[in-house]
Amino acid sequence: MLNQYKIDSFFDEMMIQKDQPKPHYEHFYQMLHRFSVEVLHEKNETAQLSFLRKGITFTVYSDSVGTERTMPFDFVPIIIPSQNWHRIERGMKQRVKALNLFLEDIYHDQEIINDGIIPRELVEQNPYYYHEQASGLNIPYQNHIFLAGIDLIRDEHGEYRVLEDNLRNPSGMSYVFQNRYVMRQVYPELFFEHTIETLEHQLSELHQALMTHVPANSLSPEQPCAVLLTPGSYNSAYYDHVFLAQQMGIELVEGRDLLVRNDIVYMKTIRGLKRVDIIYRRIDDDFLDPDAFDPKSVLGVRGLLRAYQKGNVTIVNGIGNGVADDKAMYAYVPDMIRYYLDEEPIIPNVETYFLRDEKERAYVLDHLNELVVKNVGASGGYDMLIGPHAEEEEIAVFREKILEKPGQYIAQPTIKLSRAPAFQGGRFYPCHVDLRVFVMSGADSHVLPGGLSRVALKEGSLVVNSSQGGGGKDTWVLQERGNGHA
Amino acid sequence: MLSRVADSLYWMARNLERAENNARALHVQLINMLEANDSEVLDRDWEEVLEITASLADYQSQYPKLKTEEIIHYVAFDSGNVNSLVNCMTYARENARATRDIIPEGVWEGLNRFYLDLPAVRRSEFTIHEIQNFLNTITMTSMTSQGVIESTMTRGVSYSFIKIGKWLERAEKTARILNVICEKARKEKQGSINHHYYWLAALRLVNGYDAYIKEYPPKMNAMHVLHFIIEEERFPRSIRYCVDHVMETIQKLEKGEIHHYSERLFHLLETIQQEVTSFHLEEMSMEELMGFLDHFQNRCIQVSRVFSETYYLIEPVEIK
Repeated sequence: MLNQYKIDSFFDEMMIQKDQPKPHYEHFYQMLHRFSVEVLHEKNETAQLSFLRKGITFTVYSDSVGTERTMPFDFVPIIIPSQNWHRIERGMKQRVKALNLFLEDIYHDQEIINDGIIPRELVEQNPYYYHEQASGLNIPYQNHIFLAGIDLIRDEHGEYRVLEDNLRNPSGMSYVFQNRYVMRQVYPELFFEHTIETLEHQLSELHQALMTHVPANSLSPEQPCAVLLTPGSYNSAYYDHVFLAQQMGIELVEGRDLLVRNDIVYMKTIRGLKRVDIIYRRIDDDFLDPDAFDPKSVLGVRGLLRAYQKGNVTIVNGIGNGVADDKAMYAYVPDMIRYYLDEEPIIPNVETYFLRDEKERAYVLDHLNELVVKNVGASGGYDMLIGPHAEEEEIAVFREKILEKPGQYIAQPTIKLSRAPAFQGGRFYPCHVDLRVFVMSGADSHVLPGGLSRVALKEGSLVVNSSQGGGGKDTWVLQERGNGHA
Repeated sequence: MLSRVADSLYWMARNLERAENNARALHVQLINMLEANDSEVLDRDWEEVLEITASLADYQSQYPKLKTEEIIHYVAFDSGNVNSLVNCMTYARENARATRDIIPEGVWEGLNRFYLDLPAVRRSEFTIHEIQNFLNTITMTSMTSQGVIESTMTRGVSYSFIKIGKWLERAEKTARILNVICEKARKEKQGSINHHYYWLAALRLVNGYDAYIKEYPPKMNAMHVLHFIIEEERFPRSIRYCVDHVMETIQKLEKGEIHHYSERLFHLLETIQQEVTSFHLEEMSMEELMGFLDHFQNRCIQVSRVFSETYYLIEPVEIK
């Protein structure tokens, strides 16, 4: 079945060599051989259609015309042995804890800047640093990061590294659940003889974490009223919003459903106004409140920030988190961990060059064809140069961009991203994968077992973003004594 | 419940009911067409379809003549026609999408499936068979949704808003259909309202033929048909039935109490109930009957407005 499969010089999640799986994939591999290629193909079609029918789609806009697309699903799961997972779990808690302390610090005393660990201008010139709006606030549990999505990759040695922190509005959690659901519906046999961490209680964990964010002035601290604020059904991640609101049993509201009166937030119901305590917002800072941010925004709620500042409502994730998760600040996260926690990072970063630094810039400009260059403010795989895959002209364009705005870009070595088999068009072939791990925090911190494995389904492609043809896989964390054996 | 969500539920139900009723109007005409041999009669029949689907004036402003294919296209597909079947179904889906966390999964999946299959439907050079299939799919989608709603939804606020939307839409459409048929009967034969063909059409248009002949002999008697469609409290598409059920649902929603904010709505519904029960068909001329139907349609619009005001409903989901 995988006898044509090529490992090359990459780290493969599943295979040691063709026809020889890694120990933790042994059962899965055996199970696979009970199916014919035809049956697998048929199941594959069923799975894709199931996403479409259920409307589990994201919207891609080009020329302002939106098209609803599904994220392609690949059934070969990413299986993680429990000892690997424990390390990831600890690493993620450590990282998010440090990032949260950093946010609390820079919106208060800025000790990390005063102690010379992080350059002041990197914070103050950051477009997502909202000093005026978010400084000096006393928020519940001093927690700025209710839900983080940390993107991990594995290099050619199989070492996990953090590629990116998403501390604003990480999306994709619904896919973790839907991938598992479809997997169980369409490929029930593949679960036999595996004991994996279940996802069943995860949404109640999320709900509990959310409900701990009771604002200081709540009138019903025992039963706070929480809502999920969405930009609306035209947003690309709308399904994620629907799913989370539904599963947590909270109202899914749009900006026009809310109003602020005397610095108190209300939602408009058929019985009149109802006071809101906690807002899990999925609208970016800029659009939250036209009085405090972009005055042209029609998505947000006028007066929301004042209500937040007065402690009448909690907004999670916190306002101004963008300063901690941009690609330039990323390089300092290991330092943050050392500074705030006095620990060494459990999961390392990918090496990063700052183009504002003259020496590093000179090196990067000399090695553009070997490096990956990223715009610090962009996401979703946009404005990015992958040196080894780029044409001469493209490299020239980026050279210009870097010289024009060096502070806007960073560079990283091209990591040989790990690969895993994917099954499309009737055959298995290797595709690059990454893993978005979700960390939920409130009074306590909790890591969702597994996460969203994203796969670059275009052969040879390194871009896993769903907006650019990436797909998803189910992620199995084996239970203790797991190693494939039930 | 959020006002916006209540509003979307209400409009989802209305649009779905509207699509089903308009699909039926087109379906009935496509069958009638096979039997008509007089082109003048045919034209007039098409005019009635446009009238029933509330599209006649708009159509005439765009097309000088009544042409079968053009009319079918206009009623079924035209994106410029707010009441076209595709538009009603798309609005219903958008409203369902905005309330996915509230409605049963099956309702959303049914509407989504219809939407996903739309690009495969031929919108020009179609055969009558293809159109009939398309109409049938709409009817089945609507009925399946209603089935899922009836069999799975808790009888709470969401359910109530869906049902009120459906009944108001249905009551208004039933009155409109009768009005069109009466107009036709009046033109055909001054003074008399006894013409087999029209009343049969009226029954088919409100999907009441099968129910009717179980109560009455298949001989079409105008009085019987009108009584059945307007006053029969056991027939779920009659004006009386719809009005009674809107009232009953709102009473439940308000737990039997009348508050200052719901006073206007109760008062209006009581008035309408009274108007419907004190209606005496036997003593009416055709003009009076049509006057009653016109008046009732206006009442429906009024109820919709007062209902929206009572529950702070806002504009339906904006369609891009």
